[in-house]
Amino acid sequence: MTETESWANVNLRQVGRPLARSDAPGKAAGRTRYAGDYTMPNMLHAKVLRSPEASARLRRIDVSKARALPGVACVLTAADLPDRKASTDIPGQTGKKKLATDQQVLVKERVRYHGEPLALVAAETQTIAERAAELIDFELEPLPGVYDPFEAMKPGAPIVTAPDNVVGQHKVRKGDIAKGFAEADEIIENTFRTQFIEHAFLEPEVGLAWVDENDVINIRVATQVIEHFRPIAEAVGVPHNKVRILGALVGGGFGGKEDVTVEIYLALLAQATGRPVRLAYTREDSMFGHGKRHPFVITHRTGFTNDGRITAVKVTITADSGAYVFLSPYVLLYATVAAPGPYRVDNVHVDAVAAATNNMFTSAFRGFGAAQACVAHEAQMDEAAKALGIDRMELRRRNFLRTGDKLVTGHPIESAVWSDECMIKAWEALGERTPDAGPVKVGRGVATYQQSYGRITWLHDTSEAWVGVEVDGSVVVRSGVTDIGAGQVSALGQIAAELLGVGLDDVTIYNSDSAVTPLAGTTTATRGLYMTGNAVRLAAEAIRGRFLARAAREFGVEPGEVDLAESKAFLVDRPDTSMAFKDLVALCASEGVHRSELVMFRAPFTGQIDPETGQGRVHPDYAYGAHAVEVAVDTETGEVTVLKSVGAHDVGQAINPDAVAGQIEGGAAMGQGYALSEELCYEEGRLTTPSFSEYLIPTAMDVPRYQSIILESRSGLGPFGAKGIGEPALTPVAPAIANAVADAIGVRVFDLPITPEKIVMALRRAEAAE
Amino acid sequence: MFAEFDLVMPSGLDEALDILAEAGGDGGLDVLPLAGGTNLVVDLRARRVSADKLVGLGRIAALRGIERSNGRVAIGAGTTLSDILRDPGMAEAAPSLVESARVFAGQMVRNTATVAGNVCCGSPAADTVPPLLSLDAELTLTGRDGSRVVPLADFFLGYQKDQRRPDELVTKIAWDAPKPNSANLFYKLARRKGDAITVVGIAVTVAAEAGKCTTARIALGAVAPVVKRAREAEAMLEGEALTPELIEVAARQAVEESSPIDDVRASADYRRHSVHALTRRLLTQAWDPATVGG
Ligand SMILES: Cc1cc2nc3c(=O)[nH]c(=O)nc-3n(C[C@H](O)[C@H](O)[C@H](O)COP(=O)(O)OP(=O)(O)OC[C@H]3O[C@@H](n4cnc5c(N)ncnc54)[C@H](O)[C@@H]3O)c2cc1C
Repeated sequence: MTETESWANVNLRQVGRPLARSDAPGKAAGRTRYAGDYTMPNMLHAKVLRSPEASARLRRIDVSKARALPGVACVLTAADLPDRKASTDIPGQTGKKKLATDQQVLVKERVRYHGEPLALVAAETQTIAERAAELIDFELEPLPGVYDPFEAMKPGAPIVTAPDNVVGQHKVRKGDIAKGFAEADEIIENTFRTQFIEHAFLEPEVGLAWVDENDVINIRVATQVIEHFRPIAEAVGVPHNKVRILGALVGGGFGGKEDVTVEIYLALLAQATGRPVRLAYTREDSMFGHGKRHPFVITHRTGFTNDGRITAVKVTITADSGAYVFLSPYVLLYATVAAPGPYRVDNVHVDAVAAATNNMFTSAFRGFGAAQACVAHEAQMDEAAKALGIDRMELRRRNFLRTGDKLVTGHPIESAVWSDECMIKAWEALGERTPDAGPVKVGRGVATYQQSYGRITWLHDTSEAWVGVEVDGSVVVRSGVTDIGAGQVSALGQIAAELLGVGLDDVTIYNSDSAVTPLAGTTTATRGLYMTGNAVRLAAEAIRGRFLARAAREFGVEPGEVDLAESKAFLVDRPDTSMAFKDLVALCASEGVHRSELVMFRAPFTGQIDPETGQGRVHPDYAYGAHAVEVAVDTETGEVTVLKSVGAHDVGQAINPDAVAGQIEGGAAMGQGYALSEELCYEEGRLTTPSFSEYLIPTAMDVPRYQSIILESRSGLGPFGAKGIGEPALTPVAPAIANAVADAIGVRVFDLPITPEKIVMALRRAEAAE
Repeated sequence: MFAEFDLVMPSGLDEALDILAEAGGDGGLDVLPLAGGTNLVVDLRARRVSADKLVGLGRIAALRGIERSNGRVAIGAGTTLSDILRDPGMAEAAPSLVESARVFAGQMVRNTATVAGNVCCGSPAADTVPPLLSLDAELTLTGRDGSRVVPLADFFLGYQKDQRRPDELVTKIAWDAPKPNSANLFYKLARRKGDAITVVGIAVTVAAEAGKCTTARIALGAVAPVVKRAREAEAMLEGEALTPELIEVAARQAVEESSPIDDVRASADYRRHSVHALTRRLLTQAWDPATVGG
């Protein structure tokens, strides 16, 4: 159920309306072509052979039988490749790199994780490619590995990343925590554990590559980031302008398509064979094919006065980075900034560390460290409320940040902080409490959060967009933005349509082509709308300004007296005085008025924070909101049923409320899986849950009717005051569920996922303690 | 991807049995029956199973249909889980089986998966097996030379081992509809509600006369190499009034008769806990005077 409540008094005609998204008809009718739907004549099919061991030395690899198999076009091992590595850093505008921790493309000697690629095959059919992969003969000598970040940091641990396995560290030193804890009447300390999880997007990684007549390697791929053409070119050994990434509508990303996945393999095989090559991961390949959410161990110590004021917070975070350093240092930074929650805390101490292990590597995942941090800080608030005898929401209310307050990094929050408003709305929407039924106990929980939108300010983020008006009045938008299913492209259309006064149907958008669409940056970090929406807004505004000026001249008035809407230019005070938009455009065209604009939007640029104190600016801005749930827990079996689940978020300004509700509902489902059932299990680095029969995402039968409540403060940095909703929608869900379960059964499970078994064990322990 | 195999889709039962019979013997072709394919196709794709030929049963009219006469219920091997849910008489003829069908997989799988295929896959977690055991169901196994009837309780010999010869098909599953004054219940415990592999599945039947239990069946799923009955627990109940104390003792006995393992879904310890909790719960529900008579 989507109850979209929006009470901003907005005088916008299209922005803020639940228009049918431009990608909707194709998806509803099954006409949308995803990257995997493209084929080419003479195309080969690829397969990646992966290591069955997590820590080993590759003693020998013999591909002669595979090469000899009829129908095999190419088999590549590390020996066939130039000695280059694949960058694992954030792709982007700065080109700055961190530690030399790049990944080997194929295993040369040392296997570092279960699933690390050993060889690539391209063949006439998928079946032949698979058979060829099976014919590759290799010998692995198992080596001691390390599978726990705490073990990895002990002296003498096997070294995965030199010199000491520590791959990321962040600190906050703000105020005086000794004094803060001394002032506390009550100190709450707990340790929380979160698990490895999988993005589980509908569309596994897939791509098609070919080399064209200009020696450009073209790759049509399901990705969040077309800017990967740069690291791909470097890994393959060609100039940046010889790799072109073409996107398609993407069947889900969630951070799992933020790193390079199939692209380098495709480029190498297309280069080696001179033929088009398609590589489509199976679901099982996908489990090995991209980084997972970092498991965290978070120890949270919070001091409170008797009247519920936080006096000090001390947080230690240990994250498992797995076998390669992808985005761990950044994820850890987000967690550090989010660690105390959306609360005003003067005395803070955070120590966060990420360590390399021989587990699957971990990287971006919706919520990006802030989601893990939220699991801890929101449980702490409930535990404190219980200890202090203060209502859970009242305790939060007494501590919420307000606009102008300083964040943990010392930087003030400038936009609206509607945590309380969102919390109240979400809670009220739960309605009447469902009664207990015998052993089935009902509980409620709420969680609030602080989630950044936009990238780290010292990455100097930019986004470009081009808007043009054809002579017949139809509009074209060109933007490199990738649409990962949230309606990113449609939102841009809605913005351009709003400003040019045409219908959404009058706008055609070309996106996701690194060769011809202006680079928008990535669809990550809840930055798509903020950055690219602003770029499109600025470009459309520039054209609008020129059109208004020309129309004003025609009407003999000042430009400020003219408006554009419903494909007309008209006088604001006398709408009957109007001219058709297409006539205005024709007039402009004949006079050489510039009908297009290329714009670069820049986020705030800063230097880095102080590494010793963590003080400085980290993000452009933050979003706030709340999620509330009601659950029923069967205390005999430990089964949890989510009865009600409501997200209420201040999105600043909804461009399309239906698309926002889609994000809130999707976040509610994803967060439910994170809280209750999803877990990638690694035993000595080996994945023991490699398919959807063991890895349990919620099904339609597991979820209630979700409710979405949209609040609009119009205070954000995005177009029309928008903030963002991609990540925020997820972040508070799991902690709200954890709080509801604790409320239902009176004891807390500190480790996610909260499985029936853990609930039964927690109840048993509580019973034994009594 | 699939290993390669041939697929034949006979329309007559005899033809299917001929193909199976010819295939048998040493050095012969490996031929497997294919019903809904919701197990077999998954296994073929993962290459856990290989076959030279599959005999599709989907076109064989003789395997379709549900019959009821004189309190006896018989379902053809082609009966799907959705057929069970759609059949209006089934709620009375097999309440536990209907409940297992309700919580079975998801709609798409239910539309094609067969009850017979569920039995033949031999999984200890197969959801229709505890209900069918609690109903004392019998299987009809048919080969080219004729048919034999085997009680389901004797069918499974060990983990994924059963009495069916490779040249036989299960053609029918039959049982007596529960008598008045009886209850027949099933509970599936799993890590989520849709499309989940069962952690513990329990079916019970309790029939009563004059305040005493006349028949008790307790079937345990996913807690032993095969789905099995807790016969000693059943014996404790028959001839007695099911007091809470007796139910508790029987539930503990059911745990004794289970032999669960640790796996990715749950620990053996949790499974034992759940056998106890669910057996107690189902027996208590079953002994409700409204169902078994006051
Ligand atoms: C997404 C998903 C969810 C699932 N959920 C559940 C669930 O909740 N509960 C559950 O118990 N199972 C579940 N399963 C497993 C499967 O659906 C069931 O076991 C189903 O009943 C199998 O029936 P089928 O008709 O598809 O059999 P098939 O896959 O066609 O065959 C299964 C086996 O039985 C043999 N066979 C089939 N019919 C006959 C016959 N008449 N005579 C002799 N041998 C035969 C086949 O050769 C094969 O070995 C699920 C599977 C999937 C893919």
